[in-house]
Amino acid sequence: MKSATLFEGKHHRWVVFGRDESKPDKIVDTNQYMILTHEQCFLMDPGGIELFSAMLAGVLSYVELEKVTTLFASHQDPDIISSLGLWDKTIPKAKLYAPWLWEEFIRHFGMENIEYMPIKDEGMELRFDSINLQFVPAHYLHSSGNFNVYDPQAKILMSGDIGAALESHDTPMFVENFADQVSKMQFFHQRWMPSNRAKKNWVARVKELDIDIMAPQHGSIFKGEAVQEFLEWFDNLDVGLAR
Amino acid sequence: MTVATVVAQLDVILDEAKSLSLTSKNARVVAIRAGESALGFKSITNFINEFSARTIRITNEINQHAHLLFKLALNQLRATQFFDHISTSLDKNSDAQAATTLNKLHQRAQVELQQSLSQLYLELQSLSAQFEEIDQQMRAAEYIAVTSRVEASQAGEYCASLESVSDYISSAAKRIKQAISTNMNTLSELERIIK
Repeated sequence: MKSATLFEGKHHRWVVFGRDESKPDKIVDTNQYMILTHEQCFLMDPGGIELFSAMLAGVLSYVELEKVTTLFASHQDPDIISSLGLWDKTIPKAKLYAPWLWEEFIRHFGMENIEYMPIKDEGMELRFDSINLQFVPAHYLHSSGNFNVYDPQAKILMSGDIGAALESHDTPMFVENFADQVSKMQFFHQRWMPSNRAKKNWVARVKELDIDIMAPQHGSIFKGEAVQEFLEWFDNLDVGLAR
Repeated sequence: MTVATVVAQLDVILDEAKSLSLTSKNARVVAIRAGESALGFKSITNFINEFSARTIRITNEINQHAHLLFKLALNQLRATQFFDHISTSLDKNSDAQAATTLNKLHQRAQVELQQSLSQLYLELQSLSAQFEEIDQQMRAAEYIAVTSRVEASQAGEYCASLESVSDYISSAAKRIKQAISTNMNTLSELERIIK
C-alpha cells in the first residue's frame, strides 16, 4: 500500500494510504487517511477487512501502536469500516467516532472493546490532542447518516464518498485534469447520491469553508483550484438517477 | 457452517421426541381401554414417556447451549482472522520498530486463538456427551419397541393398534439415532480440526 503526506504543520500531519497493489481484484480501491499529532493518531475510514494487514503495517511505519487512539467512520459501508473487528483486537482502548444512526449496524463488524462515540446529526467539534477537527454533516451523500472531517488548520476536508471516483489502483494521487476527472466521477455521484436537496445544502455549507485539499475515499484527491471546480460541478449535477 | 448443521439436527430430534411423548400418551389410553390383556403394554408406555421426556429435556439444554456454541465459533473465527492478518502484516512490514510491535501483536493473537480453540473444543466435547446420552435413550427405546411388540400381540382386538405404536417407537428411535449420528460425526470432525 502506498502512502503520501498531504500536509505537515507544526502540530500535526495528514497522511493518505491507498493504491494497494495487493488488494483482491474485485474490491474497490479506497483511500484511508491518518492525522498524526505529537501524542496521538486519528484514523479516518480505516477501510475494509481485506486491507487491514496492509493498513496496519502502513500505520506502524509512521507511528507507535499505543498512539493510535481514535478511529472515524464517515458511514457504515464495508469498504469504510469492515476492518473494525480486527482494529478492536489491535487497539482495544481506542474510540470510534461515527454517525449515531449507524451504531447498531456498525457493531455487526465486531466491536467488543472499542468505545463507540456517536456523532449527532448536526455534527460536532473534536479537540484532538493539540488540534481542532470538525465533523461536518453530509447526510444522504450518500449514506443517510454521513459525516466529513474538516481540519481548519490544515485546510483539508476529508469528504468521504463525495468527490469519489472508481479508479484503478495505479491512478495518480491528485487530480491532474478536472475535465478528465468528471468522466470518472459522474456515474458514481448520479447513482450513489440520492438527493439534490441534500447535495445543494452540503455545497452551500462547504463553500463557506477554507479548503486547500478535498480528500475523497476513492480515487484522486482534489487540490487548489480543483476543489472549487468540483464544488461548482457538483452543485450543478443532477443526482439520484438510475439509468 | 458445521455448527449450524449441528443446530439444525436439534429440531429433528426435538420434533421426534415430542411425537414419541404424544404417542406414549395415546398408547396409554388404548392400553387402559384394552384392560387386562394389555397390562404389560400399559407399564411400557411409562418408559416411553420417560425417555421421550428425558430426550426433550436434553435437547432443550443443547438448544440453550447452541447460542454459546455460535458465539464461541464466531470468537474462534475472529481470532483466526486476527492471527492471519497480523501474520500478513508481519510479512508486509519492513520497518524494524514496527516489527517489534507486530511480533507482540502476533503473540497476543496466537494466545487468543489458542484460548478460543480450547473453549470451542470443550464446548464441543460437552455437546458430544449430551448427544451420547440421547443415543443411549434411543437404544433403550429400540429395546422397548421389541418388548412392546410382544405385549401388543397379546392385546386381542387392540393388537393392531398397539403394534403400530411399537412400529412408531422403533422408527422414531432410528430417525433420532440418525440425526445424532450426523451430529456426532460433525462434532468429531470439528474436534479433529480444532485439535
